[in-house]
Amino acid sequence: MMNFEDVEDRDGIRLSLNVWPSSRIEATRTVVPISALYTPLKHREDLPPVLYDPVACKPPCRAILNPYCQIDIRGKLWICPFCLQRNGFPPHYKDISNTNLPAELLPKYTTIEYTLSRPAQVPPIFLFVVDTCLDEPDLKALRDAIVVSLSLLPPFALVGLITYGTMTQVHEIGYPECNKSYVFRGGKEYSPKQIQEMLGLSGQNRAAPRPGQPAPTQAFGAARFLLPVQQVEFQLTGILESLSRDPWPVANDKRPLRCTGNAVSVAVGLLETTYPNTGARIMVFSGGPCTEGPGMVVNNELKEPIRSHHDIDRDSAKHFKRASKFYEALAKRVSTNGHVVDLFAGCLDQVGLLEMKSLPNSTNGVMVLSDAFTTSIFKQSFLRVFTKDEQGHLEMGFNATFDVQTTKELKVSGLIGHATSANKKSACVGETEIGIGQTSAWNINVITPRSSAAVYFEVVTPAGQPLQPGSRGLIQFVTHYQHSSGEMRLRVTTVARNFAEAGSPNIAASFDQEAAAVLMSRIAVFKAEIDDSPDVLRWLDRMLIRLCQKFADYRKEDPTSFSLADNFSIYPQFMFHLRRSQFLQVFNNSPDETAFYRHVMNEEDVNNSLIMIQPTLMSYTFDIPAQPVLLDSVSIKPDVILLLDTFFYILIFHGETIAQWRKAGYHEQEGYENFKELLEAPVADAQDLLAERQPIPRYIVCDQGGSQARFLLSKLNPSTTHMSTSMYGSAPGANSGQAIFTDDVSLQVFMEHLKRLAVGAQTN
Amino acid sequence: PTAPAYAAGGPPPQLFTPGLAGDNQLQQQQQQAQGGYYGQQPAYTQPQPATNLADQFSQLNVAGQKGLRLQTTNLLTSPPDPRELQQPPPEIILPPNATLTTSPFSNADPSYQRSTINAIPTTHALLNKSKLPLALVIAPYRSVKEGEEPVPLVTDTVIARCRRCRTYINPFVQFIDNGNRWRCCMCSMSNEIPQLFDWDQQRNQPGDRWARAELNYSVVEFVAPTEYMVRPPQPAVYVFLIDVSHAAIQSGMVATATRTLLENLDRIPNEDSRTKVSILAFDTSLYFFSIQPESTESTMLVVSDIDDVFLPKPNDLLVNLTESRAALEALLGKLNDMFVENHIIGSALGPALQAGFKLMSPIGGKIVALTASLPSVGAGALKSREDPKILGTAKESSLLQAASPFYKTFAIECSRSQVSVDMFLFSSSYQDVATLACLPHYTSGQTYFYPAFNASRSEDAIKFAHEFGGVLAMPIMLEAVMRVRASRGLRMSSFHGNFFVRSTDLLAMPAVPQDQGYVIEVQIEETVTSPFVVFQTAVLHTTCYGERRIRVVTSAVPTTTSLSEVFASADQIALATYFANKAVEKSLTHKLEDSRDALYSRMVEILTAYKSSMTAAGSGASAQLALCENMKMLPVLVLGLVKNVGIRQSAQIPPDLRAYAQALLTTLPSQSLIPYLYPSFYSLHSMPPECGTVGERGIIMPPPLPLTSERLERHGLYLIEDGQTMFLWVGRDAVPKLIMDVFNLPSYEVLRGGKSTLPLLDNPFSERVTAIVQKTREMRRGVYYPHLYIVKEDGEPPLRLWALSNLIQDRADVLPSYQQYINQLKDRVNGASY
Ligand SMILES: [Zn+2]
Ligand SMILES: [Zn+2]
Repeated sequence: MMNFEDVEDRDGIRLSLNVWPSSRIEATRTVVPISALYTPLKHREDLPPVLYDPVACKPPCRAILNPYCQIDIRGKLWICPFCLQRNGFPPHYKDISNTNLPAELLPKYTTIEYTLSRPAQVPPIFLFVVDTCLDEPDLKALRDAIVVSLSLLPPFALVGLITYGTMTQVHEIGYPECNKSYVFRGGKEYSPKQIQEMLGLSGQNRAAPRPGQPAPTQAFGAARFLLPVQQVEFQLTGILESLSRDPWPVANDKRPLRCTGNAVSVAVGLLETTYPNTGARIMVFSGGPCTEGPGMVVNNELKEPIRSHHDIDRDSAKHFKRASKFYEALAKRVSTNGHVVDLFAGCLDQVGLLEMKSLPNSTNGVMVLSDAFTTSIFKQSFLRVFTKDEQGHLEMGFNATFDVQTTKELKVSGLIGHATSANKKSACVGETEIGIGQTSAWNINVITPRSSAAVYFEVVTPAGQPLQPGSRGLIQFVTHYQHSSGEMRLRVTTVARNFAEAGSPNIAASFDQEAAAVLMSRIAVFKAEIDDSPDVLRWLDRMLIRLCQKFADYRKEDPTSFSLADNFSIYPQFMFHLRRSQFLQVFNNSPDETAFYRHVMNEEDVNNSLIMIQPTLMSYTFDIPAQPVLLDSVSIKPDVILLLDTFFYILIFHGETIAQWRKAGYHEQEGYENFKELLEAPVADAQDLLAERQPIPRYIVCDQGGSQARFLLSKLNPSTTHMSTSMYGSAPGANSGQAIFTDDVSLQVFMEHLKRLAVGAQTN
Repeated sequence: PTAPAYAAGGPPPQLFTPGLAGDNQLQQQQQQAQGGYYGQQPAYTQPQPATNLADQFSQLNVAGQKGLRLQTTNLLTSPPDPRELQQPPPEIILPPNATLTTSPFSNADPSYQRSTINAIPTTHALLNKSKLPLALVIAPYRSVKEGEEPVPLVTDTVIARCRRCRTYINPFVQFIDNGNRWRCCMCSMSNEIPQLFDWDQQRNQPGDRWARAELNYSVVEFVAPTEYMVRPPQPAVYVFLIDVSHAAIQSGMVATATRTLLENLDRIPNEDSRTKVSILAFDTSLYFFSIQPESTESTMLVVSDIDDVFLPKPNDLLVNLTESRAALEALLGKLNDMFVENHIIGSALGPALQAGFKLMSPIGGKIVALTASLPSVGAGALKSREDPKILGTAKESSLLQAASPFYKTFAIECSRSQVSVDMFLFSSSYQDVATLACLPHYTSGQTYFYPAFNASRSEDAIKFAHEFGGVLAMPIMLEAVMRVRASRGLRMSSFHGNFFVRSTDLLAMPAVPQDQGYVIEVQIEETVTSPFVVFQTAVLHTTCYGERRIRVVTSAVPTTTSLSEVFASADQIALATYFANKAVEKSLTHKLEDSRDALYSRMVEILTAYKSSMTAAGSGASAQLALCENMKMLPVLVLGLVKNVGIRQSAQIPPDLRAYAQALLTTLPSQSLIPYLYPSFYSLHSMPPECGTVGERGIIMPPPLPLTSERLERHGLYLIEDGQTMFLWVGRDAVPKLIMDVFNLPSYEVLRGGKSTLPLLDNPFSERVTAIVQKTREMRRGVYYPHLYIVKEDGEPPLRLWALSNLIQDRADVLPSYQQYINQLKDRVNGASY
């Protein structure tokens, strides 16, 4: 049995099934499709530097030479496993021999990264789009954070600045005489051509240079707005430091006029004209909702509240559709240009992330939700975008294309992640569509070592075809991207899995329930973005029941006989938590939060995604090492400290007794060192968790009975509710945990239902 | 109370006596002039300047009953004498006791207000018989030069006005009821004397009513109480729109303008430290400059969205001149450098104007637009419509009309918000002055034109800097309205000049510059029964120092039933001013040709009327062409008008030049307009020795010569000037000494013609010539700084022809000589009576 995590470490991939059904019909019966959660740029220390261009199969196949290729050393030939064509090795491979193989043919390098000979033409670009309708402290914090970020950029990176409030200002940061900016009316929607002309990026209305004189270059074009950070850091810092609050007066009963949509469209227009198809990030900082012009989320009248899920449901959110449409159109342009939009919200209320989500969703931009720009959540999450690797390069690749190649038994159904279709209608494209389909290649405009894409496949072999012994299918992922050093790189991962004939136990045994849960979650969230959530829940239930029907051991109509193999056993539990998670239960959250949660879900790998679906709970008490405990109300005890990690927040919960002692200050007294240690242990563990996360989770410390404790209770399985007297018959008093005020069913009830439905018994 | 005693007003007037003596003098002068360079000449008395109020009016009351005597002259035998143009108008002889006091300042100086006729016919029929127009020529806000009497100020805010007709109390009212009431001179209404009229508020004691300025002075200014304000007095606001397009930068306009602005910051009216300023540059985009209080730097905000102009900031764009001085200086110091590489062609003048308007419209004030190209984008964009084929044809006048309604509708918007626009135009190619001049026209601004401006020629830079500096330093009247009232029976019927007629007779003037002239036609609606009539012009305004005031100009003119008196009292200067305005009006509503024809017909009508009613010939044929002495110069002034660039028949005059000339014709006050119609022509090489030296009244000017090239000697040096341009004509046989003395050059051959600056040389003749040139530039009111061109007799033909075109008594192409003109008139006058 293969170790899924080893494979993940090597190839950055987790598959739902690691032995594949050999026919379409059999594949359908497995319920969970063959699918992969793949992290193309996953850190891998041992990758050899490959400083040459890859050898590719003839067009249109273009598959990359890999360890699964048959090679003919003497004939200097290789056979492409995907299209079965013969290819000659290029001349410089003439010395190839069985003992002298290039790295890409070695079995341990099923994942390999080429550094291509042609570097990127343009350095990465960072365009800051800064809200100025902020309180002074907030604006200052934001300014400071951006100034710090300048020092984190590679010196050759190009930077630019756009500020917005009632109007949009594009700062000509290279202008030596004074601070200079181009101002756009916030209430107006400008066409790309208008933006280009208004910024003086087109050549019209220009006097011909006099004969013998060179045409002026410096004052013309992009060089005025986007300059190397090493050249303009001083000036840009000066501009940022002199940024003041939007000067237009705001009446007491009004929101400030904030033209976020206009500003973003100007930013998009600027980059589109100057640097199409290069790596560029538009980093949008927003301290409130767009109230002016295109993309308006809410009117500037304070008496008009910002839309809720209910308003959207009832179709009474009057700006919602138009705004969404505006940002979607913009997102389409951004993604076509290979650019990225990051959204950083610093606002206690909503800023309209829901409407704007298509921008980061389609470009893999970062979405950060914070209460203010003064918070460390914002500061750290923002600066963490500029994390560097050991060589000092930013951990981000730009303008990536992600290609998937399959052997003929498999076809690509689609991808779920922050990507857009590259519209590659290759022979690998299947009929079934899951996520972004009808293509075998996608654009991922920025890619980090965390970016994980879910890719779904279908088996197309008709039933009844005899399986060749040892037959296997192959998938090749090819990621072409601009490394932040300026190199162009190509990461290739080729995976091979065996097919098994119908009914073979190998298929069930190869089920990776964690990967499957995450892959199914992505489908569920993808569906939830389009459909009503009740439909999605029903779909999720149906799939779970069918999965259990297929893979559980049971006697028909006998729920008690129901049992699941180990590698299926916690799958229903994931589904239970997914059903009640913020991804699918939106009404306890604002639309912006929903957009944010779903965005993050589509970025992360299996482990992180699982934490989001089913948070982890650690328990700390005296004399026992910290241990994971059930995400259940029974885990709450007076003498324990709980550490909850939901991925989005990390919570330390002091049981009643612990809380009392802490308040009494025992840990500061001599003789209570063990209590002090106990208090410190979860804090240290929490710090470890915080160190890795992006965006930075909210950090909550609370006591049993305190108001903040609700963040814990909402995540716990309500095995003890105010409705149920006890869970397992009569419970032993205080040790039975805390009752949770909820109407939700508990995991136990859920499981009972599931068993009944799976075995075909009557439900009561 | 007794009338105050006024100091004796100097020597009795030495009025020039027209007649043969004048001819003789001219002949003498001609003969003497043959004496040549440095020749001995008789000393000519300096003509009496019209500005000496005391001189003119000291005899007002003494003149008494007798009317004006009509002196007929024969135009055919008595050629024009330019010195007559400097004479005062026919005396205004009011009945005794027409004035309250014996103040010599009771009646208005003609430089403020004059009538075309100084004895008003009592009926329209009588006026019609004379064929003379009745109109007022006014310059209520003419500048006061050093040594001149300032306008007295009434500061106690006690303003007595007629209850019925709202006339301001003036020297022509009567006190009745033991001095407790006053009778209005216009409508005879009996009015109460205001409570504090006889109280000295400053000393808080009874005051001397008879010392009140409004009873002694025809031109007076009242400090207005709050009833005269719709809002507190506004600060002065200046928004400078500076074209920074390629053409503007290349011409050096931007560098000169910013330097001038920088150097003149102290001259901008700002006594109360409230003056606000904004600099807005533009090409096809708008460049705003924001200056935060206390900052020494400015921030540039570029707005390229010119379809729908908006302000990029709510504040800090219009800044306090005093507070933001440092930043303004820094900005002006580098503005040209900022755009020195600008390659953008085109102009968003209209949007820039709209932006300037938005900036200042809550307050009002002055927009100064400096632009070097035809507006090409945004509101008010214009197309080049210059078409050489239609010049000289009937279609030409269409080029003098506004091409786009924007400049009028926007002007009206400006007028409503108390915004006035000055245009400084610099284009080297067609700029459509006719259209652009609409804005100053309707907003009481002014158009300044510097065709083919090139600052690398120091003359161009100096001229513009001088005039721009003058405009900056000018104490403008803000938020003004002007209304002219007159005695019963008279009605203001038509208005000419730069303003917008808001209601029937209320002229809106957002920012009134100094030294603009206006002409108002007067209709006699019913028989006038009073022995004299009164005209009162009142301009309610805010000074640029934040005080609400009313300037009141009152003049009284006797009435008459005698046609002879009507002719004898005609003011040829006022008449010529009137005709200049009418001619431009006609050329716009009809054709240029119609305008010229109308002028000709009008002259024929007047001459015919004169002949038939005032000469023995009556309606019969005559070998003479008779006209009274006081109108003797009218035909030559009208000929000058017909030959003026604004009206002249020609297929060569670029429409921009024509439009600019028309703007001058309709705004220059008489003092400047007359030389523009009839230029001054001086012989310098043969001028009397005292000329060019300092006399009692400053530099003594040479006697003016009639405008005919017969006076040009081949060895001579002449100055010809019309207030806008000076020509220094050098005869081809000029002796080397003269060339050396004046130009510091060895000979005529090495002298180069063209725009020039005279060197200041260490010899008496150079000093005198330079002094005369200098005096010419200073002696008239207004900011104009004429260019000096050196014209060699055998030099470049265009320049020569231009200079010679000023000698309007000569024949030029199809345009008749004065003699031909007079003969034509004679034939028509005779022919008309057959
Ligand atoms: Zn192939
Ligand atoms: Zn009255």
